[in-house]
Amino acid sequence: MDLFKVKFINEAADLINSLEESVLSLENNRGDSALIEQIFRVMHTFKGNSNMFGFDKIGEFTHHLETIYDLVRAKKIVINAEIFNVTLLSVDHIKNLLKDEKLQDANILKTHTRLLDEIVGIIKAYDKNTVRNDSQGSEKVSSDQLKTFHISFIPDTSILLRGNNLLYLIDDLLSLGEGKAFPNIDRVPSLKEMEYTSCYISWDIFLATSEDEAEIKEVFMFVEGECELKVKCIFQNGNLFLGNRFVLEVDKNSLFAGYSSVENLLSIASQKEITVDLSNVADNKSAHLNKEASSIKVSSDKLDELMSLVSELVITQARLSLFSEESHNAELNVIAENIEKISRRLRDNTFNICLVPIGSMHTRFKRLVRDLGNELNKEVDFIVEGSETELDKTIVESITDPLLHIIRNSMDHGIEKTEDRIKSGKPAKGKIILRAYYSGANVHLEIIDDGAGLDPEKIKRKAIEKGLIQSDNKLTKKEIFDLIFLPGFSTAEKVTGISGRGVGMDVVSRNITEIRGDITVESTLGEGTKITIILPLTLSIIDGLLVRIAQTHFIIPLSSVAKCYEVKHEVFVNNFKELIVLEGKQLPYMYLRDEFAIHENCPEIEQVVVVKYEDKQIGISVDSIVGEYQAVLKPLGKLYRSVQIISGATILGDGSVALVMDTNQMIKQLSIQHKNKELAYEQ
Amino acid sequence: MKKTILIADDSESVREVVSFTLENAGYNVLVSVDGEDAMKHLNGGDIHLVVTDLHMPKMDGISLIREIRSNEVYKGVPILFLTTESQNSKKEEAKIAGATGWIVKPFMADKLLSAVQKVIR
Repeated sequence: MDLFKVKFINEAADLINSLEESVLSLENNRGDSALIEQIFRVMHTFKGNSNMFGFDKIGEFTHHLETIYDLVRAKKIVINAEIFNVTLLSVDHIKNLLKDEKLQDANILKTHTRLLDEIVGIIKAYDKNTVRNDSQGSEKVSSDQLKTFHISFIPDTSILLRGNNLLYLIDDLLSLGEGKAFPNIDRVPSLKEMEYTSCYISWDIFLATSEDEAEIKEVFMFVEGECELKVKCIFQNGNLFLGNRFVLEVDKNSLFAGYSSVENLLSIASQKEITVDLSNVADNKSAHLNKEASSIKVSSDKLDELMSLVSELVITQARLSLFSEESHNAELNVIAENIEKISRRLRDNTFNICLVPIGSMHTRFKRLVRDLGNELNKEVDFIVEGSETELDKTIVESITDPLLHIIRNSMDHGIEKTEDRIKSGKPAKGKIILRAYYSGANVHLEIIDDGAGLDPEKIKRKAIEKGLIQSDNKLTKKEIFDLIFLPGFSTAEKVTGISGRGVGMDVVSRNITEIRGDITVESTLGEGTKITIILPLTLSIIDGLLVRIAQTHFIIPLSSVAKCYEVKHEVFVNNFKELIVLEGKQLPYMYLRDEFAIHENCPEIEQVVVVKYEDKQIGISVDSIVGEYQAVLKPLGKLYRSVQIISGATILGDGSVALVMDTNQMIKQLSIQHKNKELAYEQ
Repeated sequence: MKKTILIADDSESVREVVSFTLENAGYNVLVSVDGEDAMKHLNGGDIHLVVTDLHMPKMDGISLIREIRSNEVYKGVPILFLTTESQNSKKEEAKIAGATGWIVKPFMADKLLSAVQKVIR
């Protein structure tokens, strides 16, 4: 059963989430009876499953909760804020219960009792009688004493319409002890009047058993109400069958007429079964195909393994391609190209499998907005747009916390108090939008609020105060906003429990950078704030441009490459401003030979790869460009974490390592350097 | 010849337990997630028994039972439904709709099998 328990817990998490979501929707739309019905259904399923898998506490708890919604459903009580609060707290509690079923944690136990009291309180307030005692364990007393029963079983003629097989029932009955069944064919009409779907036979059964009357009746429980059933104990002390006279007596009276009709019934039944079984063979296959059409659940470990295998395959395929190119063997080339094509498709498919929709996290956000709204006394609509946008599951996992933090900030600092909003002519209800959409190889996530917005002056003052910038720094509005991502920056005048501990946005920004994402802020004072997070679609394989400096290879992400130019080496020598002129435009550049301290074999003509990021472009100098390359990203060790312009490494076809450059970081670094230099010149 | 049982339940864990138990007892088991899904299976092949939950999205158990009973081809198929003790009104409704019998949740393997064996062997 343990295997099932794990399954149950996994599934329970899903059920609980969908419950939470429905409750939150219901809160905004209280009259929606379909939602109430749905909530009830989920609770009911959950209760049933909990009991089945031995989670009695959860089962009991959910039972009471369900009772409330049963009453709501029947319009016997009106749903109110109290019920919503209790339900949502219960949802949280059930999540804890799943981890600690036995209530070993004292805190959980306390919550359990408290919530149960509250729930029962709500139900009691409606009607004292509604709370039902669930312990119904009626003890069955069965004696070893054999008794003989006479059972008269007269089924309704329509009894077969519901798929009952009466012969099985009689078999069941006889298996309770020792006995004999005698069919009566008194009711069987002439062939002309006979309906083949009707049952005309009735039975007299004599049974010697140690079971009691209730047990006998239980055999007929499915047909109760569709038959006339009389159970009579005809002999209290033992088996009447032992006395041959009794059996003979019964036989003489009913045996002859009876058996022939039983045989009839049997043959009809068995004929039916034979036809069924034959067609079964042919249709089994198609039935199995149908079964596989629906989706399946796979543990994420398996997906990770698949992903890493595909990565290995891509690396090996690269070696094969390289080898086949060098061998100049036409046949091998064809095979290698085919394998490349297939592994590319396999790679894309596997990626697809690992994608989950953004919508999978929005329940948590909705809940957060609701809870904070209550706490801070702000009314806020939370809107999710593009919830079907998909992202790699590892990215979704690592983006959830940063997003929670940003939404928390919007709620706390962004959205104003209701009276302030009305004063400044805004709608009383605040709005937070989470919008997701694809853009090239990236996914954009925007968190937009219509709150107070950021005050650049205030931020600047604060940054100077904290010594993060100098007072004479000239910063654009955007650069000022970027200051909020610096460690130790917090503008909240009063530190609240919700946000504003000053560890916020820098952690957010770091988390996002760690998954090669990027975060920017736009804001208009008084109108609101928009935070945009740009994320890569996936983390593990990128399309790159393979370049070479001396003997070392590097990868530049293809998505950020704009153009490539040939530039003479002299241009880089004696260049004081670190700017080159390309197509008549000045461009800052990073001379990688200096950056990586590679000095040997400098070619006369070098290549400059122009990479772009947002509105900025820089050049990167390399010796030569090798070509496009699918790079499987491997993380660098801890020791290299401080090297910001490298985001990872990949293994090339010949087994050597190429570093993958983080061009976004390069551009950022370079623009900071240039800014400082300009300042230095001005001074 | 193995008999085929069709399970309709939106809960994966219930489907797993039921199909595990029934497969071990020597039945062919097909699974479906709701009434509509179950109908597809019924149209696709011979089913000897349907075991259905009552509460399901899309088409619920009661509608499934009615649908089956009104179909000329397979209206005779036995139907067991899964229910909890507290749902007596549902039980009546399901019986009126034409269900053969029921299995009370929570159940253990033997309870499930004895109910199934009441209707097919």
